[in-house]
Amino acid sequence: MVAPALITGGFFDSVTTSSQVSEFTLTRHHTTDRRNPVRWILSHTTRYWWLMLIMFIGAIGNAALAAYVPVLTGDAFNAMLNVPPETKVLLPLALIMGGTQILRGILQLGRNFGAELIAQRIERDVRDELYVSLLGKSMTFHNLQPVGDTMARSTNDVREVNYMFSPGINLVVGSLVFLIVPFFFAPIYHWSLLLTPVVFTIAYFIALRWYLRTLNPITEDVRDSFGQMNTHLSEALDGIETMKGAAQEEAEVKRFNLNSRRLRDNNIRQGDVEARFVPLLLYFIALAGGLLHAILLYRSGILNIGNVVAYFGILLMLEFPTWTSIWAYSLISSGLASGQRILDLINRETNLDQNAAGYTQPMRGEIEFHNLTFAYPTGEAVLRDVSFTVKPGQTVAIVGQTGTGKTSLAKLVNRTYDATGGKVLVDGVDVRDWNLASLRSQISIIEQDVFLFSRSVADNIAFGKPRATKEEIETAARSAQADEFINQFEKGYQTVIGERGVTLSGGQRQRLAIARAFLTDPRILILDDSTSAIDSATEDRIQRAIAAAARGRTTLIITHRLSQIRWADLIIVLRKGRIAAIGNHDELLKTSDAYARIFRE
Amino acid sequence: MGFYEGLNEEKYDRQYNDRDLAQRILDYFTAQRKRVVVILLLTLLLAVITAAQPVIISKGLDTLKILPSLTASLLIGGIVLFIGIADWGLNWARRRLTVRTVGDVVLNLRLLAFRAAVDHDLSFYDQFSSGRIVSRINADTITLGELVTIITDVSAQILNAILLGIIIVRTEWRLSLVLFAFLPFIFLLALFFRRMARKVTRSGMQAMADVNSAIKETVSGIAIAKNFRQESGIFETFHAANRTSYRVNVWRGFILALVWPALNTLAGIATAALVYAGGLSAAQGAVTIGVWYLFIISLGRFFDPVMNLSAFWSNIQSGLSAAERIFALMDAEPNVVQTERRDVLKLKGGIRFENVSFRYVDQEPVLIDFSLTIHPGENLAIVGHTGAGKSSLAKLIARFYEFQSGRILVDGADIRTFNLQQYRRQLGIVSQIPFLFSGTVAENIRYACPEPECVTNADIMSMARKIGDGEWLETLPNGLATVVGERGTMLSMGQRQLVALLRVLMQKPAIFVLDEATASIDPFTEWQIQQALSMILAESTSILIAHRLSTVKAADRIIVLEKGRILEEGNHDGLLQQGGHYATLYNTYFRHQSLAYVEQARNLVTK
Repeated sequence: MVAPALITGGFFDSVTTSSQVSEFTLTRHHTTDRRNPVRWILSHTTRYWWLMLIMFIGAIGNAALAAYVPVLTGDAFNAMLNVPPETKVLLPLALIMGGTQILRGILQLGRNFGAELIAQRIERDVRDELYVSLLGKSMTFHNLQPVGDTMARSTNDVREVNYMFSPGINLVVGSLVFLIVPFFFAPIYHWSLLLTPVVFTIAYFIALRWYLRTLNPITEDVRDSFGQMNTHLSEALDGIETMKGAAQEEAEVKRFNLNSRRLRDNNIRQGDVEARFVPLLLYFIALAGGLLHAILLYRSGILNIGNVVAYFGILLMLEFPTWTSIWAYSLISSGLASGQRILDLINRETNLDQNAAGYTQPMRGEIEFHNLTFAYPTGEAVLRDVSFTVKPGQTVAIVGQTGTGKTSLAKLVNRTYDATGGKVLVDGVDVRDWNLASLRSQISIIEQDVFLFSRSVADNIAFGKPRATKEEIETAARSAQADEFINQFEKGYQTVIGERGVTLSGGQRQRLAIARAFLTDPRILILDDSTSAIDSATEDRIQRAIAAAARGRTTLIITHRLSQIRWADLIIVLRKGRIAAIGNHDELLKTSDAYARIFRE
Repeated sequence: MGFYEGLNEEKYDRQYNDRDLAQRILDYFTAQRKRVVVILLLTLLLAVITAAQPVIISKGLDTLKILPSLTASLLIGGIVLFIGIADWGLNWARRRLTVRTVGDVVLNLRLLAFRAAVDHDLSFYDQFSSGRIVSRINADTITLGELVTIITDVSAQILNAILLGIIIVRTEWRLSLVLFAFLPFIFLLALFFRRMARKVTRSGMQAMADVNSAIKETVSGIAIAKNFRQESGIFETFHAANRTSYRVNVWRGFILALVWPALNTLAGIATAALVYAGGLSAAQGAVTIGVWYLFIISLGRFFDPVMNLSAFWSNIQSGLSAAERIFALMDAEPNVVQTERRDVLKLKGGIRFENVSFRYVDQEPVLIDFSLTIHPGENLAIVGHTGAGKSSLAKLIARFYEFQSGRILVDGADIRTFNLQQYRRQLGIVSQIPFLFSGTVAENIRYACPEPECVTNADIMSMARKIGDGEWLETLPNGLATVVGERGTMLSMGQRQLVALLRVLMQKPAIFVLDEATASIDPFTEWQIQQALSMILAESTSILIAHRLSTVKAADRIIVLEKGRILEEGNHDGLLQQGGHYATLYNTYFRHQSLAYVEQARNLVTK
């Protein structure tokens, strides 16, 4: 049932990437057209052309056989109106009718399930394409792209694309066919009977377009006002202690009243438009007009009674498209909008190259910043004119207030970001001249929020070195002062994180990350440390873990800990993106007031 | 509508009985009496008119047996047109009225529910997460509102079906038996599919939730995977989750794709049976061809009501459950009860606990027979292990909770006699994780007194400058106009604390309650927080739940709390010299914050 997604290798290091800019690629037999959402979704669809075919055959067959009910009913009427009535044909007619309806059921199932299969496959494929493209994007991209937003696109938006096919396109195709089938069946009785279906179809589309145009902005308003009410509501209740403490209950109630009233008013506006659904009126007019037309033709002797019955039955088929199209079309437009959002993410450029031919020597760990300037792609300057040198094996403390550029400074070393001006040298070589894989594999970053997978503790520690032995893992954990808390878990190293309430404190997560770094043994370690120890014994452990991690490698620590700052070989004090002071502890006590006063009790 | 609703509804234990609930729901509609009556009349009229349509058409068909006059033809067309327009118009009017009625009832319920939520004391929020309260206020009210729409729509359809049923039975009862024979099958089939749909939807949702969490993990893990060059491994995990999702959803899709084809087939067979049976009757002259046709086109009219009926009961149940959740929110008894509402004049800030006993709802006692006097202007630090009752003391002073016995006096007056709003205006409270409301930094600083004349931007600016020369302001991208984001998440913890402290500084409270944060803050910001804090301490009576060594040292008096009892009191140096409980606590929680520790840190790690 599942078409195998062809993964024929070609990960980053392999030869297939030579012409690619991406950091991760899979060789796929199916390529997609990413120029715009319509082309893109279409190019996903073409590989399932046979499912599309099934859907179309199902839709046409379903509608045509549905039209057979009134046609056969008309024949039955004519047979009974003959003098004498031909009762003999009644049973065959009824059996044919029953038989066609069973067949119709099968065809309709084909239409529904065909659309469903396309929808599910496209959901799977689109998500897969998005994910592979995310894996191929640079660290810079992932550092700037909020996870929540990526999540929303890879779940909700992908799902919207699914809904666009089932029920969206399924219903659009199904109802369009129901609109068109009368065009073929009406002329059987008389060519002029085309009049009602044709006029109805034209008027219907005009009315529907107008309806959707009136409704859409109002629906948007409803959604906005609901969102606003909801956000304020949950914020108010989350902050109930602050609200009560500041005696602001009345102000919050007033605000909530205002928000709920606005929502109610928008709901009523929406309800008013929906109540006045003109296509339904058109349908009723079409029924009356078509009936009158048929009766007039009957009067002129062109039709018989059976024909009138059959034609009226065919007109009744128009009820299905009248109703269904209301939301079928909006499903398609929201599916396309979601497609656009996904495509935006896929197409967003990633400007770092692999530099496969670059420098690949073992690293000593010397770092030099030379007149470095860095700004985010948005143009906002983060670091200005930063210069310093770190000798191999030194420990550097980077300190400063929030937003002074500490994290960006550290991330320039492994090319998560690239300098806007000036340069960063590692072992005297510009990081841009390093082979990216070689550079990064010798540098480890431990982020502020340590991310752990819902796997066992051992797997998490061995993440960077999947083939590590049990002994290696445990030694790393011991050096990181993590073995004590790990052993307190019932299943020790096999404890799955996040399972049955196993949660870890920030400090514990950090020590697991340090253990992880021990296994990969990088030459440069970048540690973004923002944990805080509740008690002194834990603080002792953290001190030991960090000291052990820093031993024998160049270490950049972004830290709040006075003890880390005090004993660093070099301290860089950042203020507004510039180096405000630099030196070791004793030097800074003399040169910087701001520094000296944090060491005053 | 209706059939696919509430497929993922959770089971919910009911406390109120249906009768009381229904009565109470009806009470909310009495204000809308006129509209409801008109809606009912319109519904009735609609049922009659829609039932008339097939009858008119069948009569019209009978007139065709002899060639009708032009007038008669126009009359048939005219009547069908009129019925159509009336159907549309009445529906329009009915839906307009319904949306207004439902809108007003939902609005009214929402306002009452929010009012109730705001009036509850904090013990209520300990029992129910604010997320669940939010969903009662915004989602359950909608479900209750929809209940009304469902009831009116379905009853209109059923009324219509009953009228039509009476007509066809009176016209030809034998033929109507053929038609009615199919209805139980349609009903059972619909019931069966609803069950199936419910089952697969739930398992689909479950699988989807699993897949989403796997996707969330793999998406969040991309950065780390890239860091360690483990892209292929993480892709495998993702790929497996994505395939599972596909499998589960295809199965769900198959069941849902089956519903209408099955029902349509059944309806087609029923039509064939009616064509056959009716045709025989017509041939024998038992019925006219008009009546025959009446049966054929009436069949569809029974379809929707029977389908919706299969889902009706569970829709009603979910509506009633929603109503119950809303009423339970409104009915919860308040625990904090004021005996009087005396005006609170400018406080000096003396606080006295007299034999106070306190426990949280359904929990072990926190304070037993607790007495303590805090003098006006005194700075009191409370230290102790987690669960010693430190926060409880602070919360009782803020009157967030009710205590069970004893008295709390503020400036000699019983705290139970105060007008709480006036009293709390003279309290400055900063909680462990300072809560900011979305808006700007300036708006948060003036939260306790939002009127512009109360706190001007210039006031805020001059105060902000007094703290570390306003250095923290330069870390905010737009200064005081910086947007803080939902719950303040766009600011760092240190910045949030500074904003919260500034809020208190602008408020100039008589009593300051601080539950100190344990989060790590850069030493420069920390120093500024220290400054802000000492400015507040100089001006008000302070109760400090201390986690920082510097705060403990700044206090006039320290009390050591354990299991709701005061073990020791005194100042830092004195208590440390005593070598008692405080000294132990100091070694456990504060030692690593001292400069002496910083100086020894090097020895510690080389050991």
